[in-house]
Amino acid sequence: MAFSKVISGVALAALTMVLAACGGEATSEGETAVAAGPEPEVIDARQANFKAIGKSCKAIRTQLEGASPDTAAIAAAATDLNGYALLMDEHFPEGTSVEDGYDTEALAVIWEKTDEFTEAKARLVQASADMITIAEAGDVAAIGDQVGAIGGSCKNCHDNFRLDTD
Amino acid sequence: MTASQTAPVEPASKPGLAGTDPYVRVWDLPVRLTHWSFAFLVPALWWSAENSEWALHKRFGVTLLGLLIFRILWGFLGTRTARFASFVKGPAAVLAYLKGQWGERVGHSPIGALSVLGLLTVMLVQVGTGLFSGDPYDGATGPLNALVKVSTAAALTEWHEWFYWVILGFVALHLSAIMFYAGVKQNDLLGPMVSGRKLVTPGTQGNEMTPWVRFAIAAVIAVSVAAWVAFEAPGLG
Repeated sequence: MAFSKVISGVALAALTMVLAACGGEATSEGETAVAAGPEPEVIDARQANFKAIGKSCKAIRTQLEGASPDTAAIAAAATDLNGYALLMDEHFPEGTSVEDGYDTEALAVIWEKTDEFTEAKARLVQASADMITIAEAGDVAAIGDQVGAIGGSCKNCHDNFRLDTD
Repeated sequence: MTASQTAPVEPASKPGLAGTDPYVRVWDLPVRLTHWSFAFLVPALWWSAENSEWALHKRFGVTLLGLLIFRILWGFLGTRTARFASFVKGPAAVLAYLKGQWGERVGHSPIGALSVLGLLTVMLVQVGTGLFSGDPYDGATGPLNALVKVSTAAALTEWHEWFYWVILGFVALHLSAIMFYAGVKQNDLLGPMVSGRKLVTPGTQGNEMTPWVRFAIAAVIAVSVAAWVAFEAPGLG
């Protein structure tokens, strides 16, 4: 008797956890979108590219936290960052938004406000290109300021075009 | 030894007294509320992270921090079965228990003690790493993220992401153990953690009544610390 009570209780707990695991990924906003097909590879490539952007940016910021920042390393990281930023143009084909039912944080507004999105991407391209020049010049204070410009471009795009329930 | 072997006994009007009453107190209300909050929060934290619901994730995380702090304090201030000293015993006690020489008592067994310590520890590690996790240029960050260096936060974030599997393992073990006790040892551990009472052999000593003043003290400390952390620990760093 006690056995069946406990089994039911534990099974309920396990089932709840499994239910919590399913559904709600692309539908957490109340959308009922179902994916049009298998996840496009471009979404993986896109997410890998943003991870690489984040890594380069962190490399620069880590240098600045040290006692004597290596400006050549910063210039190299900025060069990488600029390269990744240019790749963003290839990573946003139509129909790959979270509203299309895929596991991504790209909002449909990307394809609605195309001018703004183009400008947002260009901001990072420009900020990282400027960072190469500034880092090669060796002025640590100016490098620090330019990190702010890069961060501002990240935030601008994320605030407008990325899923964020914060 | 089991309920099915003895004739049903009428509970006395004041349950919990040693003597004739077979239904005694086992777990106080704070312990039970804390336990079931853990059971809700751990899956909720996982779900909120998977679905990028960062505001919820952070709120759940700080709540879990408060509950963990409370449980640790209660392990020193609470009722007998809540106190660590009453169930954390050495390896000799674990062996005696495994050999069936422990006798009938309420509260955690020496083996149960290991799982309590294990689960509390892994939850503390996960909450601890989470407080510092994230990248402000990427998205949500834990409330103490600004206190550590970029490389430190990156490392702690990675830990936080894979340590989830360790927690999953401990939870699976915990659920398996409960089911084992129910099915094989005919010992219902779920019911008492809900009702706070257990059917025991008459004469077995039950738990004491909840000391509500000490509860208030532990609760106030836990909520204060968690709130201070949630507001990014002003005064630190």
